[in-house]
Amino acid sequence: MITGIFYPDSGSIKFDGKSFDPANDSSKIGYMPEERGLYKKMKIGEQTLYLAQLKGLSKREAVTRINQWFDRFEMSTWWNKKVEDLSKGMQQKLQFVTTVLHNPKLIILDEPFSGLDPVNTNLIKDEIFELAKNGATVIFSTHRMEQVEEICDHIVLVNKGQKVLDGTVKQVKQDFKENLFRISFAQAVPNELSGADFLSIKKQEDNSLIIQRNENRSNNEILQYIINQGFSIESFNELLPSLNDIFIRQVEGTPLARRFQNLN
Amino acid sequence: MKKILLIIQREYLVRVRKKSFIITTLLFPLLYVGLIFGTAYMSEKGTTRLKIAVVDSSGKFTQARIDKENALDNSSTLVLLNENVDSLNKHFEDKGYDGYAVIPASTVIENRPDRIVIKSNRTLGLVSGVQIKLNNIWNEIKYEELGIDLEKRQLLNDSKLSVQAENMKDKGANGDIAAVIGYISGFLIYFILIIYGSQIMMGVMEEKTGRIAEIMVSSVKPFQMMMGKIIGIALVALTQFFLWIAFIFIIYNATKSGSVAGDSNVSQFVGGVQTVFTSVNVPLVVGMFAFYFLGGFFFYASLYAAIGSAVNEDMREAQSLSFPVTMIVIFAIFILMVAMKDPTGPLAVWGSIIPFTSPIVMMARIPYGVPGTVPYWQLGLSIVLLIATFILTAWFAGKIYRTGILMYGKKPTWKEIIKWALRK
Repeated sequence: MITGIFYPDSGSIKFDGKSFDPANDSSKIGYMPEERGLYKKMKIGEQTLYLAQLKGLSKREAVTRINQWFDRFEMSTWWNKKVEDLSKGMQQKLQFVTTVLHNPKLIILDEPFSGLDPVNTNLIKDEIFELAKNGATVIFSTHRMEQVEEICDHIVLVNKGQKVLDGTVKQVKQDFKENLFRISFAQAVPNELSGADFLSIKKQEDNSLIIQRNENRSNNEILQYIINQGFSIESFNELLPSLNDIFIRQVEGTPLARRFQNLN
Repeated sequence: MKKILLIIQREYLVRVRKKSFIITTLLFPLLYVGLIFGTAYMSEKGTTRLKIAVVDSSGKFTQARIDKENALDNSSTLVLLNENVDSLNKHFEDKGYDGYAVIPASTVIENRPDRIVIKSNRTLGLVSGVQIKLNNIWNEIKYEELGIDLEKRQLLNDSKLSVQAENMKDKGANGDIAAVIGYISGFLIYFILIIYGSQIMMGVMEEKTGRIAEIMVSSVKPFQMMMGKIIGIALVALTQFFLWIAFIFIIYNATKSGSVAGDSNVSQFVGGVQTVFTSVNVPLVVGMFAFYFLGGFFFYASLYAAIGSAVNEDMREAQSLSFPVTMIVIFAIFILMVAMKDPTGPLAVWGSIIPFTSPIVMMARIPYGVPGTVPYWQLGLSIVLLIATFILTAWFAGKIYRTGILMYGKKPTWKEIIKWALRK
C-alpha cells in the first residue's frame, strides 16, 4: 500500500507523523521487490539514472551518486552493459543500488539476499546497517530467521495475513524462553545433579548438561548448589530460543510450518 | 509533470535509438520507391517480346506502315510475310516467330472486320500490344481511304467530350485528387495505428512481466506511466512521419536539380503538385490530418495499453484480447474505400462521425472539401466526439491499467476487465 501496489481496504497511512501523500512522499521511499524489476534491454547506467530521476533527483546529482555507489559495489564498468547480460546476483546488486540511491527515509526490501553469494550478501548487509545507522528505517521481509536475528531490531511475524508476533528481537526471545541453560564442566557430568529439585535435566552429554530451571528459582541458586558440591564449572549460559524455533511454534500445524520443520 | 516528461523521454529515446526503427524508417521509402520502379522495370524486362508473322489477305497492310509502328513500340515486332498459310503453320517456329496472324480479307471499312487470331503453340498471354499496333495501322488506312488529311485527323482526335462532377458549394474540388489524398492519409493513419498500437501493447506487457511496474508505481502514478508511454510512442510515430516527408522532399529536390531537369516526368510531377494545391485545401487537410492522427492514436493507444496491462507473458492471450480492437481498425479501412468513392453516402458520413472509425474515414472525406462535402456540423461533431471518447477511454484504460499492471496469474475475462474499469 505504501508503494502504491495495493489499495487499502480501510484505515490510513501516516508517514513522518503526517498523512501519507504518495505524490510527494514517494521520493522518500525506496522499494526493492522480490523479483527483478528492471528493463532488460536498457543500458545499466541510463536505467539507474532514469529511475533516480523519477525519484526526484536532478540529473547531475543522480550521476554523482550513481558513480559513488557503482564504485563502492565495483560496478563502474557496467555502465554501458545491458541488464540482460548480468547474472542474477549482479542484477540484485543493481536493484539494491536503484532502491537506495535517492537516500530514502523508508526502505522496503523484499527478500534482498535471495540469489546472492556470501560476499555480496555481506556487502549488502553492511550497507543496510550503514543506512539504518544514518537514520533510514528499513522494512525487511525474509523467510530466513537467522538473517532476522542478525539484522533486525524489531520483528513482526505474519501468518496467513494475520499478525502473530510483534516486538523487538530481544523481547520476543525473552517472551518465548523456556529457562534452558547449558552447563559445561571441567570433568565428567556429576550424577548428583539429577536429584536436585530446582531443575530438570533435558539432555546429557559427556561433560555438559542442558537443564531447565524450574519456575521461581534463580540462576544463583543453581550455581551455588553446584559449587557447593565441589564441581568446577567451565561455562554457564542461558539458551534463548532461536527465532526459527519461535517461528515454527507460532505457525505450528500450518503447511508453511511443516516446510520449515523439514529444514531442521 | 516532470516525471511524465522523463517517461516520455525514455520511451522516445529507447525506441528511436533502436536499430529496427532506423531500418524501417530508411527502408520504407526505399522499398516504396523500389516497388514502384521495380514493378515498372520488371514489366519492361520480364515480358517476352513477341515476334509475330503477319499474312495479309486484305492487301492493305504494307511493310512500310508496319515498320513505322515497330519503330514506335518495340514491345512486339510484326513482320509481313507473303507465304502460304499451310506451310507457315508448320514452320513459323523454325523461322523464329512466336505466332502468326492472318488479316482476313473481310477487313474493309464498310463492314465490321472479323477478329484477327494470332495462332501459336503456346499461351501468348495478353496481346493488347499487337492489337494497338494493328489498330494504329488500320486507322492510317481508314483515314487514307476516306480522304481525311492530317489537319482533319488532328481535329477528330482532339475533339472529345469529357465529363466531370462539380460540387456547386466547393468549385475547386477535384474528385480524383481528393480521393488519392484521402486514401493516402487514411491509410497512413491506419498503418500507424496498427504498427504502433501493438508496440504500445508490447511495451506495457514488458513492464508488467519484467515487474518494472512494481518499481515504477512506487515513484509515479500508473496513469502517468500510461500517458508517458503513449505520448512517447506518439512522438516516435511523428518522427517517423517527418523523416519520411523529409525523404520525399530530398528525393524530389534531387531529381529536380539533377540532370533530368527537363524530363517530362518531373514537370508532370511539378504540375501535379500545383494541381493538388489549387484543387485541395492543403492547410486544412494537413491540420485535420494532424488532429485525426493524434486523436485516433491516443484513442486506440489507450485501448491497446489497457489490453497490454491485462494480459500476462502469453502473446496468444494478447492477440485474442486485442483482436476485436484490431478488427475495428481494419473495418475502418473498408469504410474508407467506400468513402473515397462516395464521400457523402450514409456509410461514409456515419463512419466519419463515430469515433471508432472517424480518424480513418474522415480523412477520406475532408480532401473533397469543407463545407462542400463535409458540412461544418459533421466535422465539428466528429471532432468533439473523438476528443470526448479519447478522454473517456484514457480514463477507463487508466483504471484497467492501474489494476492490470500489478495483477499476475490467470488471464482476465472481458467481464473482469470491465469491472476494473468501473471501480472507483
